[in-house]
Amino acid sequence: MRRLKKVKELSNFQFALFLTLPVIIFLITIIGYPLGYALWASFHRIIFFGGYKTNFIGFENYVNILHSQNFWHSVGVSLRFGVESVVFTLSIGLGIALVLAELSRGKKIIRSLVILPWATSRYSAGIIFKYLWGGRKSFPTALSYIFGEGRIIDMLNQNTVIEMLAIGNAWNLAPLVALFLLANINTIPSRLYDMAEIDQLGPFRKFFYVTFPYLSYSLFVFTSIVIVLSLKVFDYIFVQTGGGPGTVSATLTYEIYKESFSNLNLGYGAAMSFYLLFLILAITFSLFVFWGRKEA
Amino acid sequence: MSKKAIKWILILVILLWTLIPFYWFLKIAFMTPAEISVFPPHFYPHKPTISGFFNVLGFSYTSPSGEFFLPSGQATQVKRGLLNSFVLASMVTCITMIVVTPLSYAFGRLEFQHKNKLLIGILLSVALPPVSILIPFYILFVKVGLAGNLIGLLLVTLTITIPFVSWMLIGFFRNLPPVERLAIIDGYSRFGAFIKIIVPMSKVGITVGAIVSFLFAWNEYTFAVVLVNGTFATTIPASISGFLFQHPEPEHLAASLIYSLIPPFIVAYFLQEHITKMNITEPMGG
Repeated sequence: MRRLKKVKELSNFQFALFLTLPVIIFLITIIGYPLGYALWASFHRIIFFGGYKTNFIGFENYVNILHSQNFWHSVGVSLRFGVESVVFTLSIGLGIALVLAELSRGKKIIRSLVILPWATSRYSAGIIFKYLWGGRKSFPTALSYIFGEGRIIDMLNQNTVIEMLAIGNAWNLAPLVALFLLANINTIPSRLYDMAEIDQLGPFRKFFYVTFPYLSYSLFVFTSIVIVLSLKVFDYIFVQTGGGPGTVSATLTYEIYKESFSNLNLGYGAAMSFYLLFLILAITFSLFVFWGRKEA
Repeated sequence: MSKKAIKWILILVILLWTLIPFYWFLKIAFMTPAEISVFPPHFYPHKPTISGFFNVLGFSYTSPSGEFFLPSGQATQVKRGLLNSFVLASMVTCITMIVVTPLSYAFGRLEFQHKNKLLIGILLSVALPPVSILIPFYILFVKVGLAGNLIGLLLVTLTITIPFVSWMLIGFFRNLPPVERLAIIDGYSRFGAFIKIIVPMSKVGITVGAIVSFLFAWNEYTFAVVLVNGTFATTIPASISGFLFQHPEPEHLAASLIYSLIPPFIVAYFLQEHITKMNITEPMGG
């Protein structure tokens, strides 16, 4: 018996290797090189002007970054943007899912419209929201000339720009959350709602006692996805605000771009990107430890 | 207010939230440059024109009222970008699905040594921010002659789609009913059971995965701008970025953006049909 099991496991392993090995080798080579290069660069000072030169400087880049005010500012911006994106995306996605679940007529057409923002690329969403909120000809300005006192409202100002970025991000990502939660809601056995009806639960208690427990694992998964996507997004912010006004919306990804491409501090930028990677991993890992493990 | 009325008001709110941002920008495509510069901005084009849609494809356009619009200087890039994006997205979709279906089946269904370590390795690449590997990729591709080349962009895009789609499909395969043993009793080999039984059962998941890879490939901006912008291999995101910085022509930006949105909107229609049938986020190991 024991022997039989061993043979079976071995063949499982071989079969799995046969199915997965080519891909894994591809991923390792194609991602491994850039990642290795970035790691190498982060320990060097790379100079382009007056001849290409590289000096090994150990941890100097990593230490300098920790003393840089721009770095800590951008960490703060990234975290604020990430947390707000999660809150907006999940609450809007959940709201849409709950409304769509009640729908009996016109389901298909409304679902097809609701998913459109997710099919829209990150950079298009950035451009669309730049025109919606920002500049002299924003949508709020137009509204204020029709209904209000008629003044220029630029929502991408230094006080609200990060919130506006997070709202646009939520517009972009919420449809995905909504449709997967909707799939989840559809798997809830209807007899549970019948029982809630018998117990005369109101709509809120029905949500908390019947619907929510079925969704909590998905909510964990999407919290992780949205925070990762928000922390690593670059094009959406680049085309919408360019880190501005000033550096108010300069996220970590933007700071890395600026150091590497404008200032040509390749080593410094590479070191900073490892801090970003570390931040993303630390957040997802702690989400898993404090939340995901309980759900699974 | 009746329950029904509240429901339809909420639907209306959702639709406004979804559509107003599109509308406010895309209306610009139907305006003349003169109307775009009017202040306060118009809510709708007072003298709608479709000149932009001709201009970005390299045609001049004369409106019924006799106004003449010159083709955009970016037109060759836009045309080439649309074509290249189509080729790229189709190839990425095919390769991703051929590779990812067996991969996520193995991770979702089979128990084998080192499974979790390998899985974490794949998922780590989902966390990798594109900006941090952009320059190394560029340097590598310049060395091996893949910069300004569609094959190079294809390889980079695969590193984004493969991990993401596998992550989506692993949960999906895990939730399929356990039929392999029955198939093997019926005389199928393991591989035969996978191809003839599992793959047809997984149509929904495979379709969703294919659509997601198509969207990723069609929409990828950061790598495209650095690797292929301004070359023969330009893709539509890179072409559109030309309107952002070099030639700020809002009406042409909006018109080419509308062209770029058509394919994603068509596949999104199929996505919404399938996605609600798919339950990928069940608790693991259940």
